[in-house]
Amino acid sequence: MSFTSPFGASTSKPGQGSIVLDILPPDKPVLRTVSYQYPLKLVAPDPLPPPNYVKDADDSVDPAIPRLIHTVFLLTYGGGIVAGDSIDLHVRVDSNTRLILLTQGSTKIFKTPSPELVSRQHMTVNLQQNSALVYLPDPVQPFAHAAFAQSQVYHLEKGRGNLCVCDWVTSGRSARGENWDMYEYKSRNEVWTAEETGKRRLLVRDNLILDKHGKTEMPLSWRMDNYSVFGTVIIRGPIFSSLSKFFLDEFEALSRIGGRNWGDAVQPELLPHEQRRYERQQREKTDGLIWSAANVRGFVLVKFASREVEGSRKWLRDMMKEEGSLLHKFGERAMLCLK
Amino acid sequence: MTQQALQDEIAHLERRLRDAKARLKQSPTNDAAAFTSPSASLHALLLVADSALPLGSFAFSSGLESYLAHHKPSKPSASQLSDFHTFLGLSLSTLARTSLPYVLAGYRTPADIATLDNDLDASTPCTVARRASIAQGRALVAVWDRSFKPHYHDASVCASAAATALSLFSAALRTSGQVNGHLAPLWGLVTSMLAVPLPQAAYLFLFAHARTVVSAAVRASVMGPYQAQAVLASAELQEQMRVLVDEAWHVRVEDAGQSVPVMDLWLGRHEKLYSRIFNS
Repeated sequence: MSFTSPFGASTSKPGQGSIVLDILPPDKPVLRTVSYQYPLKLVAPDPLPPPNYVKDADDSVDPAIPRLIHTVFLLTYGGGIVAGDSIDLHVRVDSNTRLILLTQGSTKIFKTPSPELVSRQHMTVNLQQNSALVYLPDPVQPFAHAAFAQSQVYHLEKGRGNLCVCDWVTSGRSARGENWDMYEYKSRNEVWTAEETGKRRLLVRDNLILDKHGKTEMPLSWRMDNYSVFGTVIIRGPIFSSLSKFFLDEFEALSRIGGRNWGDAVQPELLPHEQRRYERQQREKTDGLIWSAANVRGFVLVKFASREVEGSRKWLRDMMKEEGSLLHKFGERAMLCLK
Repeated sequence: MTQQALQDEIAHLERRLRDAKARLKQSPTNDAAAFTSPSASLHALLLVADSALPLGSFAFSSGLESYLAHHKPSKPSASQLSDFHTFLGLSLSTLARTSLPYVLAGYRTPADIATLDNDLDASTPCTVARRASIAQGRALVAVWDRSFKPHYHDASVCASAAATALSLFSAALRTSGQVNGHLAPLWGLVTSMLAVPLPQAAYLFLFAHARTVVSAAVRASVMGPYQAQAVLASAELQEQMRVLVDEAWHVRVEDAGQSVPVMDLWLGRHEKLYSRIFNS
């Protein structure tokens, strides 16, 4: 006698998740869907109005500013990703809504019994016109002998979404002497535009491959030039235009490498923002942080590296705080992972 | 020298000339049969391997200059030679992971040249590297149009498909803002039209890069010209380039990526150097 389950067959697969942020007419953004399967876990705290909403509401409500900003924490059971885990998250952000994605502590990647068993995490985000996503997570921390591949693919409707996303990785548990001892770490960030004709075009691809395949590769730790953290920030869209400009201006204002202070120039009295810049640049020096910013294809791409995790975290926080528009438009929560 | 000595020398040379002419008459005339004619593909390879090919590569150090500035020795007089060797290895490895798949794809599927060009542009995160790649790619198109095209245009059917793709692309370069002209896919396309075998075209792509970096090192006073030739002749370099071509052979362009992340930083920060002798 065969046993038939009285329950319907489950259609959901392990590790799958979905987030849909919609507008409830006339203008209320709501999280229509937040679903997830083990080992993925999503937590959505109550949405908050953006700081600039209340202020601007005094005279006239700017229709471009949504009433509420939603936040979703991307978590995993056990606080990390175990060998063989596979996470697949789909996110849809409707027109005129804004979403913050966060993590809670670094994403730990545990060791795998065999280099062939690669854990995976994929995230696909569809951004409708005039929507915005802020994704400034904690870094990924692949432990020694971990094998991990992740991808973050963003689709912008007609190229008009707004993005401010960061992707960073550390050398492992440095306290235990781990120094890029993973088998493999891959992270892919792609931004695509969907044209009216239905044709897709690649706007940006940032594909990091840290593996030991092949005979010619030097040990990972050599390739890293004594840095313990590498990261990329991708910024696009009018909502983040002042943030983009800030990164480019500050890069321009970096002192010249190999330049010397001959002591004959009189140090002028520094303006407050120049003073803060000077102090930040001193911190960059002590933290061994180097960075670059480039304006390419309608994006500002920022690359950074530092000797310790905290150096990069502090630097990102300093930069975002100093510029201020992210806090003003999205509130403190947007930068929770940089605390 | 006296008048007499000069006359003696002339007489001596005239005698040698007569002797040589006599020997030429006596020698058998079927030498040509024993001599195998160099193939057309060798000739094409020599053309594109020429360091005088006007791509302007000498203006770029591919991050070497910035790398050296980031690794200043504690004593100014100390040699940066060992740093240079590390850099050359990293630089070749990066090039093979990021650009070589586009060379192979440009050779194999010339019709996709516009997509390859767009995708490589999207994958190039800094303006300095982008500028260098585009300057050389556009120069290569110009060399093809002005110098090679009349002699290679109707060589074979395959080549003419590539030729159509290139002439479309070359027209778009002049008119459309969305076309960039990156070196890697165009290198593949042009070498396919010249009928250079693909493994050689790929190897040459790496070799030309190594030569450019080594030449930049000479001009940056890291090493002398004899040492430079020794680096290029070394068995390690040959072995590394052979293996890199081998490893990239089946890599899809979607999977091309950066294996040395700090390279992007060195290249990106080239603009911040106090003094520069190169464009990248």
